[in-house]
Amino acid sequence: MSSIVVPKLKAKKKLSAVDRKRRRSELWRRIKRNKMIYLMILPGIIYFLVYRYLPMYGLIISFQDYKPYLGITGSPWVGFTHFERLFTSPEFWTIFRNTLTLFALQIFVYFPIPIIISLMLNEVRHSLYKRGIQTLIYIPHFMSWVVIVSISFVMLTLDGGIINSVLESLGFAKINFLMSAEWFRPIYIIQVIWREAGWGTIVFLAAITAVDPQLYEAAKIDGANRFRQIWHITLPAIRSVIIVLLILKIGNVLELGFEHVYLLLNASNRNVGEIFDTYVYVAGLQQGQFSYSAAVGFFKGVVGLIMVVIANRLAKAFNEEGIY
Amino acid sequence: MMLSCRKFVMGLMFVMLAMILLACNNESASSDEVEGGNDEDQSMDVGEEDQEPFAFTIMANLHTPEVPAETVLEEIEQLTNTEIEIQWVPDNNYEDRLNTAFATNTLPEAVFLKNQSTFIQFRDAIQDGQFWELDPYLDQFENLQKLKDNVQDNTRVDGKLYTLYQGRPLSRQGIIYRKDWADYLGLEAPTTTEEFFEMARAFTEDDPNQSGSDNTFGITDRNDLIYGAFKTVASWFNTPNNWGEREGELLPEFMFDEYFETMEYFKALHENGYINQDFPVTSKVDQQEFFKNGSAGIYIGSMGDVVSIYSDAVTINPDVELDVHNYVEGPTGEYGIWSIPGYGNLVMFPKSSVETEEKLLKILGFFDQMMTPEVMNYAYWGIEDVHYEVIDGRALPVDDTALLDREVRPYQAIEVGEAETNGRYEGYFDYEPKAKSEDLFIDNENYLIEDPTVPLYSETFTRDGARLEQIITDATYQYILGQIDQAGFDAAVENWKSQGGQQIIDEFNENYSN
Repeated sequence: MSSIVVPKLKAKKKLSAVDRKRRRSELWRRIKRNKMIYLMILPGIIYFLVYRYLPMYGLIISFQDYKPYLGITGSPWVGFTHFERLFTSPEFWTIFRNTLTLFALQIFVYFPIPIIISLMLNEVRHSLYKRGIQTLIYIPHFMSWVVIVSISFVMLTLDGGIINSVLESLGFAKINFLMSAEWFRPIYIIQVIWREAGWGTIVFLAAITAVDPQLYEAAKIDGANRFRQIWHITLPAIRSVIIVLLILKIGNVLELGFEHVYLLLNASNRNVGEIFDTYVYVAGLQQGQFSYSAAVGFFKGVVGLIMVVIANRLAKAFNEEGIY
Repeated sequence: MMLSCRKFVMGLMFVMLAMILLACNNESASSDEVEGGNDEDQSMDVGEEDQEPFAFTIMANLHTPEVPAETVLEEIEQLTNTEIEIQWVPDNNYEDRLNTAFATNTLPEAVFLKNQSTFIQFRDAIQDGQFWELDPYLDQFENLQKLKDNVQDNTRVDGKLYTLYQGRPLSRQGIIYRKDWADYLGLEAPTTTEEFFEMARAFTEDDPNQSGSDNTFGITDRNDLIYGAFKTVASWFNTPNNWGEREGELLPEFMFDEYFETMEYFKALHENGYINQDFPVTSKVDQQEFFKNGSAGIYIGSMGDVVSIYSDAVTINPDVELDVHNYVEGPTGEYGIWSIPGYGNLVMFPKSSVETEEKLLKILGFFDQMMTPEVMNYAYWGIEDVHYEVIDGRALPVDDTALLDREVRPYQAIEVGEAETNGRYEGYFDYEPKAKSEDLFIDNENYLIEDPTVPLYSETFTRDGARLEQIITDATYQYILGQIDQAGFDAAVENWKSQGGQQIIDEFNENYSN
């Protein structure tokens, strides 16, 4: 795909004991030398410990029949009962399929769009115009899902919504966008693009500005047109950024936006719209099945972890850096 | 050069971090100060009393968009020598907050439950002894004893009482319609489901607002099969209320032909465009808006809402005329209307926060005082001559609904009992349809369809009832929208049965025959 050849990484060598010792003392030396920087990373570490690692203690309840007044220490253990119930429930495969479908839409439909937009923006000559557009497309990111979904609702409703009114006046039949299984996914992904695509361009645009302008000049002299320049210079230059972002995105595989999906769900699209997040919410918080929904959440987390590991391996296989 | 630049950036970041930390600190310090100041004021207020005011927290439903001002609460506090903190939770997500608070063991001393289904969810915890049983204490409280026995019996768990109830008329369901439209079209209030259908048709097709264009529809409904239109119309068709008896066996309402007829009826209304096309995803606000702005002519729900609907509608169209109506016969020639078990809300007292009997007695003492006219009139109507005036021994609220919403109405959520038992003023209504709706509530009591499972217990229903109900709710909507046929609906019922529904039927019937 790219014309830049990256040299193959050498296989890791086993380190001898002496080497390891030397390395450790060197690490300490570096930490001491840069203690200010390590101090600055401390709040981040504390954040992760407190908000990401400590709560994992709560996963215990997915193996219990958790009763709030008995607490984690007092609730009876039930082993894998809740997991069995999840895997044997008829809803499980529906939810699993829905989750993966929305995830696939995120990766294959949404993900390329910010890249395309940033390439297009990069080609815009007039800087005021370019910055104007950038600002405009950032705006939806700052609106909450409630606002986005409400605006869509007002536009799409059968009872006086503008889109259906236009369709009707043009002689087409009205389309029941809101209450249909077929339209759920298109509406979902369009709303995601609407809200996030502009914001998603930031990182790519930053990466593009880092490209050495000399490369473009050289390419021009060689007779490359604009399209060729994008293909052979810009894209390869931001390749590693794209891959890192893709891995991060995959890590969020099951974070499909609880709020968003929950707002869109109704009687007619639940079959294609119910995902793990909404299921956990309904089962756990609305119906009070704490242990069961913890089990569902646990399972979701494990799937996410597996996906990240796979994606990272793949990235390394393509000689990219990966995220760890 | 490079190094100093780095140092500068790092220094800058530290300063910023320090500022953030300081800001946080300041904030908490200043809010402490405010609280401290309040405490002082309050202790001065009650300085003359011999006893310290008793402080406790109530969790209650908030039906207005904003948390109310404390003017009324302060009056109540003074009368009862208490210091009450109310955790207002928006009614829309009350269940979540209730469950979250329960799961994290942070329920306050007095907890309102929202409704019957949340009460059922808590049954397990009640049986486990997580809440105070009240029977042994009630005889010490003169006013609490006035609470109606038959309603209390509906809230008993294994024969024991754990709650104080908030009374509601047994059935407030009926229709609110545009009288001016009906008059123009020469229509009387509908007394049969056929006449009702005709009214919905005429309001849609016969240009009731004389605009010359086709811009109205009949019924405005919302995403709620129970408190929206569906259940009330189902009652007209004589569908049982949640559960009904057939050949000596209790079965859920959706296994009855009447339920199916109701769905057919709605399907016809929907197909013809006599009801808002997106009603399964329409919110209550939007539903009422269609009625208020003159798009729709019929509203089915609590007839008491006629006042608030009218006061908004008249600002849009000063000529609007409304009326209320209850009696609509189904094909069998009988009118029926579903009823609630006499309470709207319940309040319970968790043992986790009310640690001692002494504390419980104090809280019950508060509710005992609440059940006197002096205190309850504050909670329900506000301050006399500010929020309401008394005419013929009845309370007439002032016209300023915004003021009432801000200062009074939310506190109605902590009422216990009803006017009959707590002695507060009944309402005086100068708006005629509202007065009529009060009469119709009483008229409805002659036609009640009761839920036979109220005193019964099913473990599966407690655990899975809400989840299973979704299967049926979804299928009902899909049938009305024409997305599934009868076979599809039957399949949903089978699905309901196989996922635990059959067990619920068995458990209820076992209880029922005993």
